[in-house]
Amino acid sequence: MPTPVSAARQCLTPEAGRALDEAVAVAKRRGHAQTTSLHAVSALLSLPSSSILRDACCRSRNSAYSPRLQFKALDLCLSVSLDRAPSSHNNVSPDHEPPVSNSLMAAVKRSQANQRRHPDNFHFYHQQQQLQNQQTFSVSSVKVELQHLILSILDDPVVSRVFAEAGFRSSEIKLAILRPLPHLFRTRGPPIFLCNLTDQPRRGFGFGFPFLSGFGDEDDNFRRIGEILVRSKGRNPLLLGACGNDALRAFTEAVEKTREGVLPLELAGLRLVCIGKELESGDGEIVGLRLMEIAVMAEECTGPGVIVSFGELQGLVNCQGGYGETVVEELAKLLKIHYDKFWLVGSASSYESYLKFLGRFPSVEKDWDLQILPITSVKPSESYHSPRTSLMDSFVPLGGFFSSQSDLKRPLNGSFGCVPHSHQYGESCENEFLAASKERFSVSAPDPYPSSLPQWLKTTEFGTAIALNVKTKDGVLVDSSESCTPHTNLDNICQVLHQRIPEENTCPIVVGFHCTTDNKNEEVDNCRSKILEKSPTEHINLNSHVPLDVQSMATLQSRSSFSTLFMAKQENNTPKLTEMFQNVKDLETGDRRSCNMSSSSVSDGSQLSPTSATSVTTDLGLGICSSPTSNKLKKPAVQYTVEPPKETPNRFSSRFNLDEENIMKHPSQSSSCLSYDYCRQVDARNPKIIFEALSKEVSWQDEAIRAIIRTIAGCSTKRDNDHGANQRGDRWMNFVGPDKRGKKKIAVSLAELLYGSRENFTFVDLSSEEVVGCNEKFRGKTNLDFIVDECCKKPLSVVFVENVDKADIVAQTSLSQAIKTGKITDSHGREVSVNNAIFVLSFSGYKNSSMQTRGASYYSEERILRENGLGIKIKVEHVVRDNRSQSISVSNNSIDVIPNLNFMNKRKLIGDNELHDPHFLSDTAKRPHTTSNWLLDLNLPAEEDEQKQTDDGNYENVSSENQNLWLQDLYNQVDETVVFKPYDFDALADRLLKLVRSNFNKILGSECALQIQTEVTDQLVAAAYVSDSDTEVENWVEQVLCGGFSEVQRKYNLTASSIVKLVTCLEQALSVHLPPSIILD
Amino acid sequence: MGTPILDAFNVRVEGSGDKYLVFAHGFGTDQSAWQRVLPYFTRNYKVILYDLVCAGSVNPDHFDFRRYTTLDAYVDDLLNILDSLHVTRCAYVGHSISAMTGMLASIRRPELFSKLILIGASPRFLNDGENYHGGFEQGEIEHVFSAMEANYEAWVNGFAPLAVGADVPTAVREFSRTLFNMRPDISLFVSRTVFNSDLRGILGLVNVPCCIMQTARDMSVPASVATYMKEHIGGKSTVQWLDTEGHLPHLSAPSYLAHQLEIALSQ
Repeated sequence: MPTPVSAARQCLTPEAGRALDEAVAVAKRRGHAQTTSLHAVSALLSLPSSSILRDACCRSRNSAYSPRLQFKALDLCLSVSLDRAPSSHNNVSPDHEPPVSNSLMAAVKRSQANQRRHPDNFHFYHQQQQLQNQQTFSVSSVKVELQHLILSILDDPVVSRVFAEAGFRSSEIKLAILRPLPHLFRTRGPPIFLCNLTDQPRRGFGFGFPFLSGFGDEDDNFRRIGEILVRSKGRNPLLLGACGNDALRAFTEAVEKTREGVLPLELAGLRLVCIGKELESGDGEIVGLRLMEIAVMAEECTGPGVIVSFGELQGLVNCQGGYGETVVEELAKLLKIHYDKFWLVGSASSYESYLKFLGRFPSVEKDWDLQILPITSVKPSESYHSPRTSLMDSFVPLGGFFSSQSDLKRPLNGSFGCVPHSHQYGESCENEFLAASKERFSVSAPDPYPSSLPQWLKTTEFGTAIALNVKTKDGVLVDSSESCTPHTNLDNICQVLHQRIPEENTCPIVVGFHCTTDNKNEEVDNCRSKILEKSPTEHINLNSHVPLDVQSMATLQSRSSFSTLFMAKQENNTPKLTEMFQNVKDLETGDRRSCNMSSSSVSDGSQLSPTSATSVTTDLGLGICSSPTSNKLKKPAVQYTVEPPKETPNRFSSRFNLDEENIMKHPSQSSSCLSYDYCRQVDARNPKIIFEALSKEVSWQDEAIRAIIRTIAGCSTKRDNDHGANQRGDRWMNFVGPDKRGKKKIAVSLAELLYGSRENFTFVDLSSEEVVGCNEKFRGKTNLDFIVDECCKKPLSVVFVENVDKADIVAQTSLSQAIKTGKITDSHGREVSVNNAIFVLSFSGYKNSSMQTRGASYYSEERILRENGLGIKIKVEHVVRDNRSQSISVSNNSIDVIPNLNFMNKRKLIGDNELHDPHFLSDTAKRPHTTSNWLLDLNLPAEEDEQKQTDDGNYENVSSENQNLWLQDLYNQVDETVVFKPYDFDALADRLLKLVRSNFNKILGSECALQIQTEVTDQLVAAAYVSDSDTEVENWVEQVLCGGFSEVQRKYNLTASSIVKLVTCLEQALSVHLPPSIILD
Repeated sequence: MGTPILDAFNVRVEGSGDKYLVFAHGFGTDQSAWQRVLPYFTRNYKVILYDLVCAGSVNPDHFDFRRYTTLDAYVDDLLNILDSLHVTRCAYVGHSISAMTGMLASIRRPELFSKLILIGASPRFLNDGENYHGGFEQGEIEHVFSAMEANYEAWVNGFAPLAVGADVPTAVREFSRTLFNMRPDISLFVSRTVFNSDLRGILGLVNVPCCIMQTARDMSVPASVATYMKEHIGGKSTVQWLDTEGHLPHLSAPSYLAHQLEIALSQ
């Protein structure tokens, strides 16, 4: 409802009123239906009497343009926008004034309110404007000052849009109006920090562009190449495009220079070999030599691997003399051998030449596992720098262009805080080290160094978001040179540490490692390690001062595998180890985060005498994370195991080991805490190891394990595709199908493999009403709360959610949301990041045609798991002749017959009304072995029906509509749905029966028959299934059952007509499946 | 995802047909460029219209200078939009830069596109020695860029009639409007991206049937480029010579273009 002009004018001071009149005139001139804010702006800009807006624009304008141009642009934008305004349809009278639009009236109202609130501004303004308006201030109804009116109008989105189009920022204009002093805020050029202020919100606009997360303005091509390299299939990029060759050159250069951000983090430190030139040269011999070199390199390489750039395909296509085939074959062979650490990269200028290449080497696409990567852009990164600085500096969110800034701000995803930095010093260290080694090792064999060095550095760069890595790979290497120049090692270490100092300072997040070294005196003054957690509430400070005064030279051996480890070993000479001081401070944060305080200082008497010949070995290791492989370390002396930042350091082990004194302190022994991200690397690169470990645990689920490993290795995840290049570390898997125990076992092993300990495994069964454990702590908590709690306590863990199909609606939404956002919310709304966790959602109600192949087994998992432990006793019976004649004849040799005997026995039991379990009956009926005709004449069909009913009932209950939908969703949301095969109970049962039978025959001979009651078999099966392996049952059979058999032999006079029975005794209920002793009847 | 991206790019789905047809506008225009072509297709197609991120009608905040450095980011956008709409198969009409993104998208997701119609498409705008005549010399381009930097308005006023080519004042006005709607820095950045792109090597990877529509006198794309593309595109491709002039036939001769599009789509 537009307001009449006269009504609007009443709210305004005369000056503002004049502006409004002008605006109305503009609207009238253009024949518009209403007077809008745009008209007001147009009027304000053109009004000769008042130039507030114009001045403000002048002051805030972008210096990159000439003022004349920018104002012209503004005029144009304004008129374009005005053109779009609806014109009035009813041209009534010529003196009709277009009423004030709602938006403009709202602006007037806003300014009124504003003015009432801020009389100060009003005064401030007044000192520079006419004093006559003073009186209006006292009037009860506030009349809007022109300045305030302008400010409110500028708030109008339509207006600010117009200004934005012309390159102004309305916020700047507003500031300029509020502070009319010229150049108050301006230094030279555009007011940069104001830009930044307004830029802050706009950078975080919240919709889901799949942003390049890590590398900021780095070359897009590099990112894409990197993405291909870390894949598991099609991992060798072929850059295709007219500028593919340029891109390849840029890439190889960048890799050679180890520029940061070029390669994905897990590949940082990749060694690059170019054979493009050799291939083009056409000299077969040289190429052959190069290939041999590469083979050796790949063999010896221990870092992330070797990448061979074969340059343009043209080189291979055109090569004469037939060595092309050799090259292709050799490289294919290398690829096969060094499957996870060997890559190829090349380029082709056009698809045609690629086809030519394929034509010449038909199988190469498969052998080389090539992946075509279309390169469409010519040198994007360089060409954009110039315009940015000239034209766009005021437009563009400045922060984005400075990689340093973005590096610092990069969220701690996982635990890479400062990889670029360590990367950097990797570079500088390399230089230093090379220089040093050249200097000092010129006499001794310098050969081992160049080859070992990169790998040394590689680990530095890669393993250690958190960690400082001072490492020379193996002690042997250092030892070899030790004799000649013991100095050098220490010196090098000093230098290396020195290099790190500035860098570490800039990484508040992770670890600071201070080591001031005085190279001239070759004396390590101070070695301080600082572990800072960034979060203000959770602050852990670990200080360890290790001043080492080394007067004459000592051998310094430093070794570390993946952890930050700084070992200083001093031998031969007399080091003065004045003090070793270690201080661990822990500011506790309520939440049961245990951190052990340990402080110890050691001083050795001999240290004080410089001439003493005592050799003191000091191993000093500062471990941030020690991986399972760190058992390589022989003498880790001080080892702090701290979880990556952002995680709670609930495990903290510090060990102090002085070689001579053997002082060991173990405040809390933790097996090991493997840095999560690191282990991600391990997986990705050693899927085989993981596979072996898992299939050792659960041998019958090979396919499932493969799928799991694929998921963990991070390739082929649905979710990642959805979210673009996100870098979330969490993985979500659905384990569906039967075999609960197999699933759990796999999950537990995953926790052990990936996170170092079974502790890092959280199990939640959603079907149970109360939280597991029924602990007091958990009272009143839902399962979901429990999960969130655990995630909070153990961010690096495998969370296993059993029976996820039973989740209530709260848990459902929370889980779905967690899958999408990486944050899980408990029932109180507390959010916890699950970025580093692996979630396993498990349920069994999954029906799939492919799973039915096994057919109905006699043993259902439910029944086996329900099996409760009963005592087992041995009965000896003498059977009636006629019955036995049949059974005996078969029972002697064939194991297959045993079930028949069992069945017979069962029939008796049924007759005795000893059994009431419908499952039991029906299971019996379904048992495949029972198909022999003479047994089927019982009233079994009815029971079969019963079985069906119960089963169907089970499924039906679970899958109500809603649930089904959600589960369906879950399939789509998770990274991978892993289908588990049903466990082969039949085979297990057969195996166990065979075992029992063979033992029986061994002791009692083959004369008499053995009957095993089905319950007993079930119990054994259950025992074997639940236990970790068959061996438990085997042991039991050997120790307990055989004892029973021997006793039978002693007590009874067994004839051919006697039957030994193994039955359960109901009166003796045990919680274990395998009773510790056997009762003889 | 879902709606945010659809909102951000002003995605519209018009029409009631059973097949999807995507109209993707080119540099300097927005989806309104298709306005007068659109009515011909709403009966038989569900027409998807959207604005490129560089268009003036899209909130310039969405234009991330770090992200849109290559055409791939535009391809991401296109595919994200189609995925958000749950499109599984569509025909695609792309003009200038969108013709390029269309080809790239079809390389990535060939099953998604039944046909590509490329209007004013060029795999490479710059000349490359004797072998390839893209229509522009590097020097000229730099000249254009500096002109854009110096005086965007003047450049727009000069460029628009040139681009439209034909003597159609409404089209010139329309194009000037949309071109001017673009923030100058963005349009400069985008044109740099476009001129830096070179799709020649990868045309062979395009296996979706293509129809290249080429007007008689296109100041951006010489006729030889159309034949070059026809020869090099991997899939079946045809060139449709349009009996009109200029780089923007959908503005200058909408009904004629619509007719030609109908023919091409039915083939």
